[in-house]
Amino acid sequence: MTALLSKQLRLVCHPMTLVFLLAGVFFLIPNYPYSVAFFYVTLGIFFMFMNGREQRDADYNAILPVRKADTVKAACLFTALVELCSLVIAVPFAVLSARINPNGTNLAGLDANVTLFAIAFLLFAVFNIVFLPSFYRTGYKVGVSFLKASVCVAAVVILDVAVTHVPGLGWLDGVDTASCLRQLPILAVCAAVYAIMTLLACRWSIKRFEKVDL
Amino acid sequence: MNVLEVEGLRKVYPAFTLQDVSFTVPEGAIVGFIGRNGAGKSTTLKSILGLVHPDGGMVRWCGEDVKGCEKTFKENIGVVLGGVDFYPKKKLRAITAATKKFYPNWDEAKYQHYCKLFSLDSEKRVDQLSSGMKVKYLIALALSHSARLLILDEPTSGLDPVSRDELVTLFRSIVADGKRSILFSTHITSDLEKCASHITFIKDGAIVHTGTVAGFMEAFADRGGTLEDIIISVERRELDDGAII
Repeated sequence: MTALLSKQLRLVCHPMTLVFLLAGVFFLIPNYPYSVAFFYVTLGIFFMFMNGREQRDADYNAILPVRKADTVKAACLFTALVELCSLVIAVPFAVLSARINPNGTNLAGLDANVTLFAIAFLLFAVFNIVFLPSFYRTGYKVGVSFLKASVCVAAVVILDVAVTHVPGLGWLDGVDTASCLRQLPILAVCAAVYAIMTLLACRWSIKRFEKVDL
Repeated sequence: MNVLEVEGLRKVYPAFTLQDVSFTVPEGAIVGFIGRNGAGKSTTLKSILGLVHPDGGMVRWCGEDVKGCEKTFKENIGVVLGGVDFYPKKKLRAITAATKKFYPNWDEAKYQHYCKLFSLDSEKRVDQLSSGMKVKYLIALALSHSARLLILDEPTSGLDPVSRDELVTLFRSIVADGKRSILFSTHITSDLEKCASHITFIKDGAIVHTGTVAGFMEAFADRGGTLEDIIISVERRELDDGAII
């Protein structure tokens, strides 16, 4: 698996996939739907899969002493690593954003708080469960798969914007310590949903790709 | 001893069927897998490698079903499927660095030796190599992890006569020690005449003949004196001039 992950980084990963790891920079923009930042991370993942297809990565995998299932597992694991790295890198930008933008000033959506990270987990979960199995159904239809996934991701972004307008849910938008502590269980639930959905996406992708004749 | 045994391989497509393909690759042999375009050579090779799912049949590596020893099988083979088409903008150095991590028995000294022998420049990108050099690069990778069997799908197609002759000479030297074998699909009969010890002839998805070159020539003695005469004679279809007009 280490060899496959190293190959993914050296030969398949698109430079923009790594650039979009800095999506947290978007948190410094005033009045912006911050969950869109994580959409750019999925865009980077799309570039990686497109690059793999254009560079005929599957042909290279064919000559390696690995099972087809392992190549899918490695691509799914690398995708998850990219997503998790983007979240970790976003944390300092969220802290900085809370200092720059005082509580409640983001009029376009959630502030950069714990709820936003929960939404990010949800966004990645939805992206993975739609994009990965859709792509591995053929191993080459990357554009259509991304389009389908983007429609679903857009729904999560709308959730980010909508939640700030629901009366009684103001605590979800807070960046003060008390609000953030109250938001933690939501983060835990969304992280669990992400883990389960990504695992299911990987299993489903393996099953589908096994049936594909290369 | 046979390193590879293919038995009753079957694959059904809407417009083409691979019908009970069976043949063997003995240790130290160069097996020429010959047939016209669309005869089923690539489908057979891809089925052997597990890239295509056969509807029936079995592939054995040193007597063991490859389904049970896929990793061992793939660690012991080198594959060239029509030249290097992957990662055209990457340098050979980068591809080699990623590839060698997959082989526990990778021999860097051997790799450097073959690069020198084949005049391969690691700093060159794949798309800067000629077709012949691409094949040589993949062969260098295969020999550097001590592959016992090379599976080559039309490696000499599209090459000039000098490059083809160089590759054929290389194939002969690879099997010279009797420990390595080559399964080599082609539709260029002259290449086979120069290096093959065995021939497997496939037509319309079915094996017409498999065995030694001498046995093949004997079996089709009435069809002509050269491999090319025999293949053309077996493959020729009667054309109705009226139908063409």
